[in-house]
Amino acid sequence: MKFHEDSDVPIYVQVAEWLENEILRGQFEPDDKMYSQYQLADLFTINPATAGKGLSILFDHDILYKKRGLGMFVTSYARDVILQKRKSEKLTALVNEIVDEAERLEVPFDELIDMLKRAKMKNTGERQK
Amino acid sequence: MIECKKLSKRYRSHFALSNLDCTIRENTITGVIGRNGAGKTTFMKLVAGYLKKTNGELRVMEENPFTSLKVSANTIFIDDQMSLPTSLNLGELLDSFAMFYPKWNGSLANELMVYFQLPQKSYVQNLSKGMRSTFQAIIGFAARCPLTIYDEPTTGMDSAVRKDFYRALLKDYLAFPRTILLSSHHLEEIENLLEEVLIIHNQQAFLHMSVSELKESVVAVKGDKLAVDHFVAMHGKLAYHEMVPGTVMAIVKVHNHVRRDDFPELTFTNLTANEAFIYLTDSQEGGIDRVFERSQLV
Repeated sequence: MKFHEDSDVPIYVQVAEWLENEILRGQFEPDDKMYSQYQLADLFTINPATAGKGLSILFDHDILYKKRGLGMFVTSYARDVILQKRKSEKLTALVNEIVDEAERLEVPFDELIDMLKRAKMKNTGERQK
Repeated sequence: MIECKKLSKRYRSHFALSNLDCTIRENTITGVIGRNGAGKTTFMKLVAGYLKKTNGELRVMEENPFTSLKVSANTIFIDDQMSLPTSLNLGELLDSFAMFYPKWNGSLANELMVYFQLPQKSYVQNLSKGMRSTFQAIIGFAARCPLTIYDEPTTGMDSAVRKDFYRALLKDYLAFPRTILLSSHHLEEIENLLEEVLIIHNQQAFLHMSVSELKESVVAVKGDKLAVDHFVAMHGKLAYHEMVPGTVMAIVKVHNHVRRDDFPELTFTNLTANEAFIYLTDSQEGGIDRVFERSQLV
């Protein structure tokens, strides 16, 4: 992965998000050993302290747990925590943005709902192909 | 590892460093950043024991570096004025470094020489600027000194070699943790490697924090003049520019954490670490443009 260096998101948050995506992608199962801060540092050419900060975000959210002297491991409910977190943070923000933009463009609410339904149908259609 | 209190260095009547306070922890990579003439090199030479302090306290490995054999045996200082004998070829130079540094990693040095295409049989005086910097960087890696200081190590290196150098520095640090001081004018190139930045400005330690804290400490705000003025008054103004009548952009040093949602009428933009550094250390309001404006008035 490439980091967006001039992005508004600090590198350690980008590390945490990348690891979350790896868990969502199924690269890590519950009780699997997570990368160490040194492996992450080597992987992305970043300071190990920065990588460590990314890992501790996941630890604080109960996505990882520590085993003394062995490192960090994925909790059994990691996936659910991430999905819940993404829903409440990212999705809520996106929905707010959509509603704001619709009001600015004077799109009636019903029409917005129709647009959402159409987008959903398009996605389902593509999956069936 | 390094502790300074009110550290000062005077050259005749000129203070190159005055009342610098800082503490650098063991096994961290610290970027030493500052404008030209700010005192970076003086600071690093004092730490290495090359210069004698004028006033204040300086402890390196709990000793005074200027008179300590321990510091001198455990420190390597790499800069572009490093004097290397011209009568020995590169291979012989590496062999003699091996005699001085007990942890010398000869196999790494040889592998790096091959990778960077430096022939063992050539002489330093025949190397290009960039190749000489590369050779010195190799010495810095191989010496494995508990305190390794690089003063602008990438001078003359092309961008591909610089990239390799940073990667090598990090990999070597992961394998053999040590305390590293690294000065550079290209903060954007080294910021991800650093645990902390030490900004030296006006001969003093101006800021000492992590890169992400540095980025968060400065922000650009844009919006209605009244709203921006109100925000600026609560923090510190670094730059101010009226874009069109009534709309203002300001660069602000934030004193405490800002919840951006509390200011819906303002647009916030983050700066890069390098931009933040430049605004924080810019003593001339209006920058270079102002000089030209003034000179045309005469």
